[in-house]
Amino acid sequence: MLTTLIRRELLDNLMTFRFAAAVLIMLLLVVANTVVLIKDYENRLADYNTALKTHQQQLQEKLTYSAGKLEVDRPPNPLSIFNVGFDKRLGNEVEVSHRYVPTLWDAGSHGSTNSFMGMFASMDVVFIFEAILSLLALIFAYDALAGEYERGTLRLVLTHSVRRGYILLAKYISAMLCLLVPLLMSLLLAVILLTTSTSISLNTDDFLRIGGIILTSVVYLSVFYLIGILISVATRRTSTALMLSMFAWGFLVLVYPNMILAAIPRPEAPKARVASAYSQIEQTWEEFDRERKQFLINDAFPGEKTTFEMMASGWYNEYSYGSSSSLWYVYHSALHMKELVKDAESRVPHAQNYYGFLGPRVTDTAEKTWLIRMPALEEILVQPTNMERVWLKLSPAGLYDAATQAWAGTDLNGIRDFFEAAREYRQQVVNHYHNEKVFASRQWFAGDKDTPDWDSLPRFFFQRVDVDTNAKRALPYVSILFMINAVLFIVIFLIFVKSEV
Amino acid sequence: MIWHIAKRELYDNLSSLRFALATVLLLGLMLTNAVVHLREHPERVQRYRDRVSQYQNHIASHAANSLYDLAQEGPGNLHKKPSDLRFCAEGGEAFMSDRAWAGHHRWSTDTLKSFWILTYPSATPNRDNVRPDVTKVDWGFVIGYVLSLIALLFTFDSISGEREHGTLRLTLANSIPRHTVLIGKFLGALISVNIPFILAVLVNLLVISTSSDVHLGAEAWGRLGIIFLIAVLYTCLFLALGLLVSARVQRSAVSLVILLLVWVVFVVFMPSTLVSIAGKSTPSGPTFDFSERSWKIHGELRDEYSPRRHKEAEGSIKRIQIDGAYVTKDAEQQERLHEERLNQRIAEVHQARTITRISPVTIVQNLIESFAGTGFERHLQFLENVRAYVREFRTFIVDTDSADPESLHIFGVRTGMSQEPVNREAIPKFEDTLNLSKDFNTATMELLLLMLFVLVLLSGAYLAFVRVEV
Repeated sequence: MLTTLIRRELLDNLMTFRFAAAVLIMLLLVVANTVVLIKDYENRLADYNTALKTHQQQLQEKLTYSAGKLEVDRPPNPLSIFNVGFDKRLGNEVEVSHRYVPTLWDAGSHGSTNSFMGMFASMDVVFIFEAILSLLALIFAYDALAGEYERGTLRLVLTHSVRRGYILLAKYISAMLCLLVPLLMSLLLAVILLTTSTSISLNTDDFLRIGGIILTSVVYLSVFYLIGILISVATRRTSTALMLSMFAWGFLVLVYPNMILAAIPRPEAPKARVASAYSQIEQTWEEFDRERKQFLINDAFPGEKTTFEMMASGWYNEYSYGSSSSLWYVYHSALHMKELVKDAESRVPHAQNYYGFLGPRVTDTAEKTWLIRMPALEEILVQPTNMERVWLKLSPAGLYDAATQAWAGTDLNGIRDFFEAAREYRQQVVNHYHNEKVFASRQWFAGDKDTPDWDSLPRFFFQRVDVDTNAKRALPYVSILFMINAVLFIVIFLIFVKSEV
Repeated sequence: MIWHIAKRELYDNLSSLRFALATVLLLGLMLTNAVVHLREHPERVQRYRDRVSQYQNHIASHAANSLYDLAQEGPGNLHKKPSDLRFCAEGGEAFMSDRAWAGHHRWSTDTLKSFWILTYPSATPNRDNVRPDVTKVDWGFVIGYVLSLIALLFTFDSISGEREHGTLRLTLANSIPRHTVLIGKFLGALISVNIPFILAVLVNLLVISTSSDVHLGAEAWGRLGIIFLIAVLYTCLFLALGLLVSARVQRSAVSLVILLLVWVVFVVFMPSTLVSIAGKSTPSGPTFDFSERSWKIHGELRDEYSPRRHKEAEGSIKRIQIDGAYVTKDAEQQERLHEERLNQRIAEVHQARTITRISPVTIVQNLIESFAGTGFERHLQFLENVRAYVREFRTFIVDTDSADPESLHIFGVRTGMSQEPVNREAIPKFEDTLNLSKDFNTATMELLLLMLFVLVLLSGAYLAFVRVEV
């Protein structure tokens, strides 16, 4: 019985104009956009490779360890084609040094830098689904029951011994099958385009992630179809159902996500918290500075010059600098001596002694301040935005966006993984410096005899988290979407069973 | 007769569900807009005032030292005046810096200091912003996206619906010319779409103007009037499109599907996809390229002048002249470099904006921006103001220096220039201004394009309706 009903509904749906239009428009938009997005990704990849090479080159040119600026770069995420998230937006290169523990807020960005271009909105494949698939789902649903009420065919069907639940189920399954056609076709085309591009290499995990995105899209689609059915069964008139559906779509997809963050007052960074954390950090560094000066006074070489008057040519930098907005503070001391003055040899051991003392102290102080900085940053910069994200998720569109970002790994967590890796890498580098006694070496400040062996440094390696973690991050949102589905279906069923024909 | 049909259409609409929903939606959006504006605008104005007084103090403190000091440090940060009509169009202001920096200091040696140059800091609000990405709800958004959608929802069944019900045949059985019916329907829909919109606009303006923190002058009201007319014109465009499709298609449901797809393609997708296509053709180089180039050029100049400088004795006129030439030439070169980069960026944006003009929503948003005094054109105007001021400032320095008989009139070196303190009142002050006539020049083309769209669609609807079989 059910199969007969489904077959009837399926035929009804497939032969309509809206089905043809849905397939056509989805294919057109997804293919056109994927081509553009792949090009964009390739550009970003080229920028990344250039940055990698430039940073390597700049490092090799440095004659001393203290002047070497070790930068790590974040590669673009190929799945940003599906949901760009934060991938393009947040910083994608950060300096790794023993002087501070790197975070997202210390990052710079490589790549094209025309900041004006930020005023144009950018788009991704998920946005197409978010906006159009939901619209199509409503167009398929608005007359599903209201139309049958109006034409009286529902009464006809019910005169047979068909259970009402079956009718509902048949309608749901057949419409979803119809809607899956444009969804899957366009996604498959997008994936084909992705695999034909030479610069993009997708591994098994990536295909699983794309699978997750498809699953989420289907669930999202189903939410909107059920919303349409609910309106249809509640209003019983096609014209009313259509109007309500369109406004519901406009509100949920267009208006709500854009309005809600403007409407709720933006949480202010707690000024007292910022100030107290920053002064704590400053104090820690001041303490370090006192120790440093004490060392200079107590050592055998008179005076407080950190160059020890050895430099004949080259440059040096020494400063303390901080910024309270991101709680960043650094004591920077870099020396790049190309040649030493004639009688410098006697002072070299002093300098080695001093820098052998300074390096580990700087590292320790940086790690000490990190313990203050990490929770403060979390509280000041991340938690208020988490609240905003919760507000956005009150619309299915927001949930869908969050879930696909989590699958693609372009959400905030995915970006923070990179900085986590950068921090681990910093630890490796610092350990290497300790083990090789780099701080106390002559190459730390002078490049006249030996130059640093940059190639012996540990290599930075960043791998996106495995698909399990992505799934774990996406799961809450996907399950909420599933729950919305279940609730909507039950409500529709109750209304439909209770309704008189 | 036209009026009669329009009235009938209007009464039909007023009691409909879509009218009620449209009113609620527009009122909600416009109210949000007003509340957000009242929350943010006073802060913005206060920040601008603080910065302007900082700038004046900066100038005064250097003027009190000596003319050389003033000429070497430059006027400092020049700030963009925030527009009172920011609530009409946010215009991507976040991505345009609100200042130009006429005081960029780059290097100093024991005797020389680099002169100031005019640079254009870029605004990267997104680099460390972990907030979710959202559009601002401004008039541009309400008009461009929501109002256009509502216009389509009001017209998709205006002809096809009547044909389905058979009332169209009835109407045409009377001796009414078809164009009268069409114009009547058009006017009726226009009025019924505009009633909720006007209501929402009035509530919005009422909330904004009752606040004591925000003042709208006579000129601002004039601009608001123009923006309203643009909104009406834009609504006409979508009404005409709705009538055209409605006249051609037999069934309302099909007509709606077509209209929605057209709307989605032109309004939602065109702007961003076209930009992505256009934006890629001229990549502007990475940042490290620029600073490297800047230092390289400086290094070349230094290598050229350094031997010549050291040949002359310290303090001799010849040495001062060479030093002066070195410093001024360096400033000129660097400023040109910054200028070039800015021009390259502007060209890139222009290209992207030209291509996106195919989409009516971009046209209308550009128009609203230019009349609200925000957005890219306004930023260009600000840069124009800055350059004019910088010229004036430099002329002032030259004139003041030549008025001092003790000065050697050699620019770039302390010993070559006037040491007298400068009267702070005499120094030209930078004031950012908004110019409506200039706005109108940039907007005319877009306005004409919009009118062209409306005319084409209206005549299309007329032709379609005249030839249609009832």
